[in-house]
Amino acid sequence: MDDKCTQLWQKLSAALKPQVSADTFKRWFSAVELVGATDETLSFRVPNNIYQYWIESNHMTALQAAVLSAFGEPRDIKFICSESAVEDMEPIGVSKESDSRRDRKPTSNSSFGLNPRNTFESFVVGPNNEIAHAASLAVAQAPARTYNPLFIYGGVGLGKTHLMQAIGQYVLAKRKNTRVIYLSSEVFINEFIDAIQHNTLVKFRKRYRQADLLCIDDIQFLAGKERSQEEFFHTFNTLFDGHKQIVLSCDRPASEIANLEQRLVSRFEWGLTAELQPPAIETRLAILRKKALGMQIKLSDEVFEFLASRIRSNVRRLEGALMRVASFASLSGKQLTQEVIERLLKDILQEEARTSITIEQIQRKVAEHFDVRLADMTSKRRPASIAFPRQVAMYLARELTKSSLNEIGDAFGGRDHGTVLHAYKLVKKRMKEQDSVRQTISFIDSSLQR
Amino acid sequence: MKFSATKEKLLEGLQQVQNVVSTRTTLPILSNVLLQASDGTVHLTTTDLDVGVRGSFEANVEKEGATTLPARRLFNIVRELPASEIRIDVDGKNAASIRSGQSFFKILGLPEEEFPPLPKFEDAKVVPIRQKDLRDGLRKTSYAISTDETRYVLNGLLFSMKENKLALVATDGRRLAMVDIELEIPRSQEADIIVPTKAVTELQRLLIEDGDVKVSVASGQIAFDFNKTLLVSKLIEGNYPNYKQVIPAEAKERVTLERETFLNSLRRVSLLASEKSNSIKLNFSKNNIDITANTPEVGEAKESLPVQYKGRDFSIAFNPEFLMAPLRNLTEDEVFLDLIDEMSPGVLKIQTPFLYVLMPMRISS
Repeated sequence: MDDKCTQLWQKLSAALKPQVSADTFKRWFSAVELVGATDETLSFRVPNNIYQYWIESNHMTALQAAVLSAFGEPRDIKFICSESAVEDMEPIGVSKESDSRRDRKPTSNSSFGLNPRNTFESFVVGPNNEIAHAASLAVAQAPARTYNPLFIYGGVGLGKTHLMQAIGQYVLAKRKNTRVIYLSSEVFINEFIDAIQHNTLVKFRKRYRQADLLCIDDIQFLAGKERSQEEFFHTFNTLFDGHKQIVLSCDRPASEIANLEQRLVSRFEWGLTAELQPPAIETRLAILRKKALGMQIKLSDEVFEFLASRIRSNVRRLEGALMRVASFASLSGKQLTQEVIERLLKDILQEEARTSITIEQIQRKVAEHFDVRLADMTSKRRPASIAFPRQVAMYLARELTKSSLNEIGDAFGGRDHGTVLHAYKLVKKRMKEQDSVRQTISFIDSSLQR
Repeated sequence: MKFSATKEKLLEGLQQVQNVVSTRTTLPILSNVLLQASDGTVHLTTTDLDVGVRGSFEANVEKEGATTLPARRLFNIVRELPASEIRIDVDGKNAASIRSGQSFFKILGLPEEEFPPLPKFEDAKVVPIRQKDLRDGLRKTSYAISTDETRYVLNGLLFSMKENKLALVATDGRRLAMVDIELEIPRSQEADIIVPTKAVTELQRLLIEDGDVKVSVASGQIAFDFNKTLLVSKLIEGNYPNYKQVIPAEAKERVTLERETFLNSLRRVSLLASEKSNSIKLNFSKNNIDITANTPEVGEAKESLPVQYKGRDFSIAFNPEFLMAPLRNLTEDEVFLDLIDEMSPGVLKIQTPFLYVLMPMRISS
């Protein structure tokens, strides 16, 4: 235990001793070590898993009461078991931490098509994905007993495959003989066609309907393929009725997949649908830092901030940019100035600029915020409840896009450029006068900038 | 395949293997029983891919062969057949004609090639155990096996074969049951294996009082060979927790109890324990226990029991079901309850090597 943990453990032990009998403390807690303490979680290392099971079943209330009294607020409690032989009478600590088992067997896991780097530990959680992450974790911990099916959707490079594979890895690590199947729907379709051609449908069905956990990526490829959809429908039903977990990912919500049978759409929506959104700047920074730490890349804070602020749309692009910058730095040994990076990432940054904010996006966001219809943005109606939001949207269009006053006017129902200028000045004045207006606008601004 | 047999023998054979068939199977072949007829015997096999059972019965085999038939349906038909003599004739398309007296049934089966074969145990060393001992040991421990699927390592019974002793251990984190059976175990076969609950339940059902059961272990599977039955099961992979850690070192007080009287008192008193206040309190005083239960808004119950107790006065509370379960499954007249204090586990013991560790519940003041 390091010093900080030793001190914390002493404090915690003192609070714990009065809660349990002396025997209990000696038997169960004298071998416990506090190895990690964050604001949310306390990690305890125990010699083997009987400690975890017994303390969890019998002494959790006492432990949590002690935590509350020692730290002033509750914390999550986690146990890490050092593996040791069952015969040991004395609890002998330390050989391997069982947490590492999840990364320990990349060869056997990758035979399932699972990339060993896609685990829950390597997934950076932020407000953009915390629901999807929490749902995935719940599913991994208790397959088929929480959300079934789990439908994850989101744009490119936002973590759908990462989460699905993390679920697979977790389940396999916990129970080695679980039948986990992970594949893209395209593979499913191809294998299905193959099975029809070679008359091996029984084998095909046996393989997929015997799974304990079925993860299918990019389910949107089923669109338009009637027979495959029918086969998948039967597979889905068999697994669902057998209380087996199904996880699906898609690039759009189930109801937006064209040419997909309604009965499949309704089944996909049966369980939990979770969206993965593009990460906000703080999350992007966290992702960069975590990746850099994992690859032992050292870059200055400015570089991270530059990358995080300029690359907004997807995580894959972000990580790719990081790799480029890092390898350039290590190979050329040159100083990394903003100019250098801009040149290096020219093509990525161009892509990003193309997906930067459009006037329509601004109109949508503002309409949503003020609870008016999108059509009101372009309509001729004058009541202040509609006119003011319109003016705010014009202000933001001027601030955030490179369009001219004329262009903005056109986008707002053919209005004059002077109208736009007037709106801009008016909103600016109101922002100075009223704090609430300033706050509202800065809120909308930042949610657009995400 | 063509054979005839008496209804009793056929029914008995089917009953042996029925339970293993799970009701919700993903594969249709798993709800079928494999019948293999040759040389005066018909072998029956069922499996759910984790546990498999193979039994047999005597029959007059006219034509050898094999097929699989829906287990539940076949059993229901045979049970209802009127006469004692049953003739079964299976054609090339796995359709079985069942004739008995004036009744005729035809059911469709699946080819035997599709039936998953039971794992082989060639070259595996065999350890013989007396059926009586194993059955008794299972009975004394299996109720304590955990049903919490998140702790899958505990969802089975530990067979710890070491130092010429077979220890059977079951725990769910709140109580632990353990039995020792004397057994000669060659050093090369010492092992710790975890047998899943389903196999344990089936074994308890099928083992009888006499004879030996031959136990073999090989590559993640265990086989129990006894009477005319073979039960094979996957083993649970993982390290069983160090259960010895759970067992308290010394007792401070020991109470001697008449098992049946104690159990009956507990049963009566626990009628007044509810889901919310699910505990019964034992108040010890000289040569007496007061057993009480109390549910607010409902009522209370109390019973006094004379016992052999010379220790200090004190109280301890337990979950009634957890306390009654071992008492129900023991047959001894006398049991001993070793206690330390009201926050430490109690240990139930008998004259032979058995113990049951039970954590007390908090007594709310």
